[in-house]
Amino acid sequence: MHADQDVVTQDHHEELTLKKYFNNIWVAVRSLIKGLKITSKYIYSEPTVSIEYPEVREVLPENSRSRLFNDAENCISCLQCATACPVDCIYISANKRDKEAPKIKTKDGTPIRLDLTQYTIDTALCCYCGLCTTVCPTQCLTHTTDYEYATYTLGQMKFDYLDPEIRRWRDRIVK
Amino acid sequence: MDNQIVINENIESPNDPESERLKTELLTINMGPQHPATHGVLRVEIQTDSEIVVKATPHLGYLHRCFEKHAESVDYRGVIPFVDRMDYLAAMNMELGYSIAVEKMLGTEVPIRAEYIRVICSELQRIASHLMYFGTYAIDLGAFTPFLYAFQEREFILRIFEEISGARLLYNYFWIGGVWNDMTSDQLTRISNFLDKMDGELDKYHNLVGLNKIFIERTANVGVLDEDLAYSYGATGPVLRGSGVDWDLRKKRPYSIYDKFDFDVIVGKGLQGKLGDCWDRYYVRMMEMKESIKIIRQALEGIEDGPVMGKVPKIIKLPEGEIYLRTECPRGELGYHIISDGGKTPYRLKVKSSCFTHTSMLPDLAPGQMIADFVATIGSIDIVLGEVDR
Repeated sequence: MHADQDVVTQDHHEELTLKKYFNNIWVAVRSLIKGLKITSKYIYSEPTVSIEYPEVREVLPENSRSRLFNDAENCISCLQCATACPVDCIYISANKRDKEAPKIKTKDGTPIRLDLTQYTIDTALCCYCGLCTTVCPTQCLTHTTDYEYATYTLGQMKFDYLDPEIRRWRDRIVK
Repeated sequence: MDNQIVINENIESPNDPESERLKTELLTINMGPQHPATHGVLRVEIQTDSEIVVKATPHLGYLHRCFEKHAESVDYRGVIPFVDRMDYLAAMNMELGYSIAVEKMLGTEVPIRAEYIRVICSELQRIASHLMYFGTYAIDLGAFTPFLYAFQEREFILRIFEEISGARLLYNYFWIGGVWNDMTSDQLTRISNFLDKMDGELDKYHNLVGLNKIFIERTANVGVLDEDLAYSYGATGPVLRGSGVDWDLRKKRPYSIYDKFDFDVIVGKGLQGKLGDCWDRYYVRMMEMKESIKIIRQALEGIEDGPVMGKVPKIIKLPEGEIYLRTECPRGELGYHIISDGGKTPYRLKVKSSCFTHTSMLPDLAPGQMIADFVATIGSIDIVLGEVDR
């Protein structure tokens, strides 16, 4: 089957003289000692760098991009975040506000003309690119620094930001 | 010494029933896709004669995410998060090529401060990426400690990136027209202090690993890629420079503001064995980090105050036409071919990836190697499967 298939090995054997033999040993021992010196310096004089996670928690930088949060009271349902999202993970629906209803404004004074009926983000789809937060005109959609929200099912990763439970959670997280 | 091994010597003769039972054949082994030494999900089907590789066939596609087709359905800004996910170890460099390509077509001027920040970030990213190579390559060859040392330095770079962009790996930081956030002077000083420390650390790592006798024995004269073979496969980046070719896009075809900086192109010299072996590729990468440090130092000196975002229309529509732009990434040349039909999304976005071309060299490098040397060869060409499959 492979009778005439020759394979050339890539070894390049030179003749080993006695001098080379001892030289090899000398080089090997010297490089070993050099390496051990570096390692032993790390054992005795360098400070520990590992962080033991569940006990010690590192504070993330302020603009670290983790879980999204929408402050629904300030949202004007402009749909810009849903348009900018490259993976289409933001679901918004809104109704036109009644003319008789009392006029409300966001924190920065933009009038709210639409009533938000749904604002859901599927965090399982989200790629945390931050494009949605930068287009938000009222800065109500923000990335928080909360990264510990693993769930048991994919369905639980959908966060409805009109849910009172999550609105309570806001006080804990939002800067 | 006879350096030829004849496979399947004629031990069988048709008349002998005993030899019929004892016939030899090649053994087929699957290396990967979950093999720790293949850096991701590369599957290499190798045929071995005892411990010597006779034939190696890489099988790709385990990480295929349909990037090129998907890019046709998202707007130009939305492509950047996907570009990050190609080479996730050097996302800044991936973004740089894409944003320069779009800016050239759009005719946007990038503010000078943004250009400097881009250079600083992409060179820091190059250091981080090469450190990753250094650590994982040592693991491939059986040394675990260098991995931890490399990650200690890499951690600082990722921390800086997290502060300026908000993410550790997939930044979405270089935008079309500039960069997202400005860097504070405090961060620039910290980078400068880090570089001073890094210079010494690199010497230490090189002494610890590169000049170690065991490391030299494992890498010198292994996986020799000569200049002709490198050219014929279209190898780029450190793999090509390791074969002794003086070719660096930052020097030969400067993009961004690389023409302002003074640095050397490191080429392999065959110091420990033949030219173009695994040790040369290691050497090129280690010394390239020092050149990156040099570039960042000059950039930190030359950085000017000013805006970091140029004037870009709210909805980006490229004029009809096409562009091919290539940049020097840590793993080689990365090319973007963008074709626009005047719409909001690219008509076609083709990526020329260096990792893909380097993977295609494996069948030629493998025959005749020991399996352990083959692992060293895969490690030395430093592929990231996210970029191979896209």
